[in-house]
Amino acid sequence: MKGYRFVTGAVVGALTSATMMVAVQAAEYPTKAIELIVPYAAGGGTDLVARAYADAVNRHLPQSVGVVNKTGGGGAVGLSEIMAARPDGYRIGMGTVEITTLPNLGVARFTADDFTPIARLNAEPSAITVNANAPWKTIEEFLAYAKENPGKVRIGNSGTGAIWHLAAEALATKSGLKFSHIPYDGANPAVTALLGNHIEAVSVSPAEVSSHIAAGTLRILAVMDDQRSKAFPDAPTLKEKGIDVTVATWRGIVVPKKTPANVVETLRAASKKAVEEQGFRDQLAKMNLSYAYLDGPEYKVAMEKDAEMFKVLMKQIGLAK
Amino acid sequence: MYELDMLLHGAQALFNQPMALLLALFGVTLGIIIGALPGLTATMGVAILLPFTFGMDPLSGLLMISGVFFGGIYGGSVTAILLKIPGTPAAAATAIDGFELTKKGQAGIALGTATFSSFLGGTASVFVLIFLAPVLARFALEFSASESFALAVFGLSIIASISGVSVIKGLISGFLGLLLATVGLDPMGGFPRYTGGYTELFNVPFIPVMIGLFAAAEAFKSLEDPQVRAGMAAALDRIIPPWHMFRRQIGNIARSSGLGIIIGMIPGAGADIAAFVAYNEAKRFSKTPENYGKGELGAVAACESGANGCTGGALLTMLTLGIPGDAVTAVMLGALTLQGLQPGPLLFKDHADLVFTLFAGMLVCYVMMLVVGLGSLRFMGRILQMPKSVLTPCILALCIVGTYAINNSLFDIWIMLAAGVVGYFMQKWDFPASPVVLALIMGPMAEANFRRALSLSGGSYDFLYTRPITAVLLTIAILTLMLPLLRRLWAQRSSGGPTTINPAAGSSRMGTPE
Repeated sequence: MKGYRFVTGAVVGALTSATMMVAVQAAEYPTKAIELIVPYAAGGGTDLVARAYADAVNRHLPQSVGVVNKTGGGGAVGLSEIMAARPDGYRIGMGTVEITTLPNLGVARFTADDFTPIARLNAEPSAITVNANAPWKTIEEFLAYAKENPGKVRIGNSGTGAIWHLAAEALATKSGLKFSHIPYDGANPAVTALLGNHIEAVSVSPAEVSSHIAAGTLRILAVMDDQRSKAFPDAPTLKEKGIDVTVATWRGIVVPKKTPANVVETLRAASKKAVEEQGFRDQLAKMNLSYAYLDGPEYKVAMEKDAEMFKVLMKQIGLAK
Repeated sequence: MYELDMLLHGAQALFNQPMALLLALFGVTLGIIIGALPGLTATMGVAILLPFTFGMDPLSGLLMISGVFFGGIYGGSVTAILLKIPGTPAAAATAIDGFELTKKGQAGIALGTATFSSFLGGTASVFVLIFLAPVLARFALEFSASESFALAVFGLSIIASISGVSVIKGLISGFLGLLLATVGLDPMGGFPRYTGGYTELFNVPFIPVMIGLFAAAEAFKSLEDPQVRAGMAAALDRIIPPWHMFRRQIGNIARSSGLGIIIGMIPGAGADIAAFVAYNEAKRFSKTPENYGKGELGAVAACESGANGCTGGALLTMLTLGIPGDAVTAVMLGALTLQGLQPGPLLFKDHADLVFTLFAGMLVCYVMMLVVGLGSLRFMGRILQMPKSVLTPCILALCIVGTYAINNSLFDIWIMLAAGVVGYFMQKWDFPASPVVLALIMGPMAEANFRRALSLSGGSYDFLYTRPITAVLLTIAILTLMLPLLRRLWAQRSSGGPTTINPAAGSSRMGTPE
């Protein structure tokens, strides 16, 4: 088996000497430690998913996977680095939904096509959440109020062009409403503003408001998902209400496009085993994060769908360059 | 009293868990080291240790992280005082007077005062957290964009008091900082400004600039004369400040701790802001404000008690409301969630035993910080005995490693070195570096919140005077700027001539169109 792979490697390698080096190394993949680049700061949601994954996948690979945080530019710095990495499988990365949004903003050197998806690990839908003292008990009441008072409803998000801003914009365009979008420096400050009644709603994920829902200070009116959230089964989806909007952030493992097929296969197989571990799922559940595994090919489909949706949406709302 | 009862129970439970105490000690020690090294901040230390807490029981994990948090905020002062290298942004304020004291040969007393002040400020804040948490928590929610804007403007007005000899040069430095702060992603629109196409410049590389301006600039300067260790006492003779000296600082420490606690509670404002505000107020209330900037012990005491006072304040809103008061507690929020403890109003109800054991542990952490701090100072003080030819390369190497560690980015190192060159010339021509740092902290905060407040109010400027906290903070800011001018006018009138101003009181020259 090993010999056969080597022969394959040699045949490919005969084409050019440069690719031969990669291929021979790839035949034995992995022979040294693998770097997992996380485009966000240590301690954040993406980082925690990455570290839980690294823990789990280490048991299924002969070499260890180490997490390296490369922050900046709302993810652009780290994602560019993953794209530009030597495609030998020793620098893999956490690909997030920003792969599909940043190219439209004209601030990234990559597009979704520059990556080969390995495995989606987690996904969180957007949700419309209001203060518990707010007069709106249902999403219909909320949308009706927004219709009567165009521009009066202030929805907090995690930054202009960031995923939760796009979610609120998607709702606005689909339902023909006009909101006032207030960008904050991340989801948490937006939730804080909602708690203090300085804004009317936030469009962040249910996980990011769960402690306040439990305490009864905030109320989720609807989630932008295909099905209801397991943690909050009482909140309807927008789809149920006849508004076809699904927007979610997601995180998963990606590698540069030119990575050899056998490396991709090795990583896919190891990731599949890693996510099947109860320990990994428990770890996600503890962090209020939803397990949303998709294998490489399905992950690619989901990614392409989002890339198309955001391209249209961001052009519509004037964010795209 | 319910809280006192619970705290005693907690203390009992705590001392049955030697492992947790050991880990707390480890956390505090590591925190001090991380804090002392340029580039490594408390936020980073907590983030790095976070994955190790996955396998621990909640108490041990959380105490270790709290230890890193407390130690990290304090540790920055040691290198700030000894070498003028602020290990953390909060210590940039401490460096102003701390290093002047070292130059005068009073490094020991300065370090001792910093340690005691950190301990007192931190302990006071933990007590406030224990006894007043439910009462104070709502205050944080009153803070919206307009209040944060007003706080940032007030912060910027502090430039006048940290400028040192020449206020004009201080203002020039401050405006340089404000200009630098405009680089990066527009906080509201999200498009890049002055980035030259570099994604690395999307966020202002604040810590590399700070390391460059202070540490690298100092290292470049000492390259000029590698032989001598000019004008510094070789050893620390006395560390524990004599009572008659320390007694005078008690009121100052109490005020600074209080300010620290309040600023800690405000979302988005952390120890760095607290230290600068405490410095400003200490100078305002001091009988000898002209000594500030020339090596005043009160300045060190104020900055350190303010910065550590922040810890309890930031924890307060994080634990009771689930909203982090600063960057460190934002990471700690993740740690708590991982342990199955959902921060928020229910935490105190559902996990009261654990919470109060944790509080008892936090008090122990501060005692540990005091002991480890005082114990290590003599050892740290030996840095001063190192020949410059050894120390300078070490500092430069530390600057580079520390800068790289922030984002694993080579780009940041070039930024740091460029800032170092600028800092060298600023020092040569007497432009103070701390206004640049202050402007880099406050500038983005003021801009983002002003524009956010405008879009919250639908474009109306009413928020500037209709919201009480905003109006009060803006008024204080204007007073801070006007006070030197008013004092001067008053002095002129009472003495009848314009020539009587003491030229040493630099701030009184401010704004006079002569």
